[in-house]
Amino acid sequence: MSSFVLIGLFDGVDQAAKAGHALRSLPLAAENITSISGVPLPDGSVTVDPRPIRFSLYVVVFWFVGALAGLALALATYLLYPLITAGKAIISIPPTLIITYEVAMLFALLATLILGAREMGLLRFRARKVHEPRVHDGKIAVCAVVEPGEQEIQARRAMKNAGAIDIRIEEGEL
Amino acid sequence: MSGENHLARTDEAQLYRDLSRSNLVTTWRWFAGVGVLSLVLLWGIGVFVYMMMTGMGVTGLNRPVFWGILIVNFVFWIGLSHSGTLISAILRLTHATWRAPILRAAEAMTAFSLMVGGLFPLIHLGRNWRFYYTIPYPNERGLWPNMRSPLMWDAVAINTYLIGSLTFLYVGMIPDLAILRDKSDGWRRKLYSILSLGFRGTHAEWRRYHRASTLFAILIIPVAVSVHSIVSWDFAMAKVPGWHSTIFAPYFVVGAIFSGIAGVVLVMAAIRRVFRLERVLTPLHFDNLGKLLCTMSLIWGYFYFTEFLTVWYNRNPEEWEVFSSYGRSFLPVFLLMIMCNFVIPFPMLCMKKVRRSIPAIAFASLLIVVGMYCERILIVTASLARRNDPFIWHNYFPTWVELSITAASFAMFGLLYMIFSKIFPIMAISDIKERLFHTTERSFGGASAETIARVEEGEEEGGA
Repeated sequence: MSSFVLIGLFDGVDQAAKAGHALRSLPLAAENITSISGVPLPDGSVTVDPRPIRFSLYVVVFWFVGALAGLALALATYLLYPLITAGKAIISIPPTLIITYEVAMLFALLATLILGAREMGLLRFRARKVHEPRVHDGKIAVCAVVEPGEQEIQARRAMKNAGAIDIRIEEGEL
Repeated sequence: MSGENHLARTDEAQLYRDLSRSNLVTTWRWFAGVGVLSLVLLWGIGVFVYMMMTGMGVTGLNRPVFWGILIVNFVFWIGLSHSGTLISAILRLTHATWRAPILRAAEAMTAFSLMVGGLFPLIHLGRNWRFYYTIPYPNERGLWPNMRSPLMWDAVAINTYLIGSLTFLYVGMIPDLAILRDKSDGWRRKLYSILSLGFRGTHAEWRRYHRASTLFAILIIPVAVSVHSIVSWDFAMAKVPGWHSTIFAPYFVVGAIFSGIAGVVLVMAAIRRVFRLERVLTPLHFDNLGKLLCTMSLIWGYFYFTEFLTVWYNRNPEEWEVFSSYGRSFLPVFLLMIMCNFVIPFPMLCMKKVRRSIPAIAFASLLIVVGMYCERILIVTASLARRNDPFIWHNYFPTWVELSITAASFAMFGLLYMIFSKIFPIMAISDIKERLFHTTERSFGGASAETIARVEEGEEEGGA
């Protein structure tokens, strides 16, 4: 039988942290446990995020791609349509630097938006993901992917012992 | 949450109702406001169509003043846009604990000012229907924008800043849109479901969201500085007395930050009163912004004096004539600028009582906005009115056409802000909740004080 997500709801961060710690020591893998909260929690306070954040590196790459695009835009303009302006050189460096810089920043900003959203797992409207709207009322949800049977029973017990006010099962991704 | 932090003591449902009042409650005043502003905007659009059909002769523009109030408006609105995103980015990066309630108002101000300001070069164009000539794409006419022109740098920079500011505003709203999605129904729920992109608040999402916010803040600051530098180069690259100056870029940036902060204070004072946000937007926020305004007033005065001193000592006849005209034809505008930018607001803002009194600091900010508008009038029109050849000297006065379009721009800004505040959260709900979550009360003997915990990036990533 396929695994599902067990969601425990907690009143406070201390209870949620206790549940997170208990689930990890079952043992459950860190990537199979997460928290859902209305405010960001420090890494390790309730759950641990084992995946490194990579998109910021690609933003730098896109900055350079943007710089190349800006450079190409300015240079191609000079070469395709050579306009002699005020006796200046056909390829003038200062305007090229300005256009290059602005296009590079534009690419970096757009890359931050798109790659950041992608790495957050957003924009996947068709994917069924677990959700707990009560976190906006001050609750914290601890979610764990568990196998039905013994693992589920142990996880439920861990959440209940930590002080969960509600435990439910939901099918979907973390 | 934890029994110690302030969020745990707060009724979150009540907090949501207080912060989302602009979305949840619609009074007849809102409809009346939207109605009046729409009428002014429609009038302005009608006048613009009239100007387009008749020609630029209906404006006050004439030789040698070919840049008038429309370009003044462009510089003014772009300047006003400067501080919103910049302040927000700097406060985010420096983890200023008081930042949360002012972020959204400031970021929205930037986005709408840019939208309004960006229209003015197009309105000023004359043959407005040919605006697409500035877009670089292969065409049969063999035309291509000249990238050597500062006007093209401007087009590229403003578009970059507009896209950057809109994305910065949007990314900051994603967690709040997720809250609204879960708390609303009907068409609002559908709208917020799409716009929140499926954000749920998982630990991994929050971590990446914070990284993206920080990156945006880092990237948007140099873009903001470059935009107003480039706006200044529209002028400084021309050999026009009064414009051709190396100090223009930093001077414009300082002026833009100065007027932008004043704009943020005015917007905050307005939304505080209209949406009854007295408990969120406290005198502390106005006090801190007042200190910034006071500093910027000093820096602006210093820059203006430096610019004046070099011209005064040099006595280059062309340049000196421009400055002399400030004491003759442009005296009322010059006096208004000096009084509103420095003489009145600086001593006012030195006083804590003024900074903590919302009507007083709003009045000082209004003076600054007026003063900075006068400064742009002097920069744009006085320099052209006293160009090198005395035989063509001619003073400029805007006509009813330009004044109508100017009034419509203010109406458009107000209208955009009112519609935004009705659909989107005008307060950064998640940031305010995060601040409350990190705040605890600590006792010092018989007294107690707020203590705010801060998680360092490195510590956060390494795991606590």
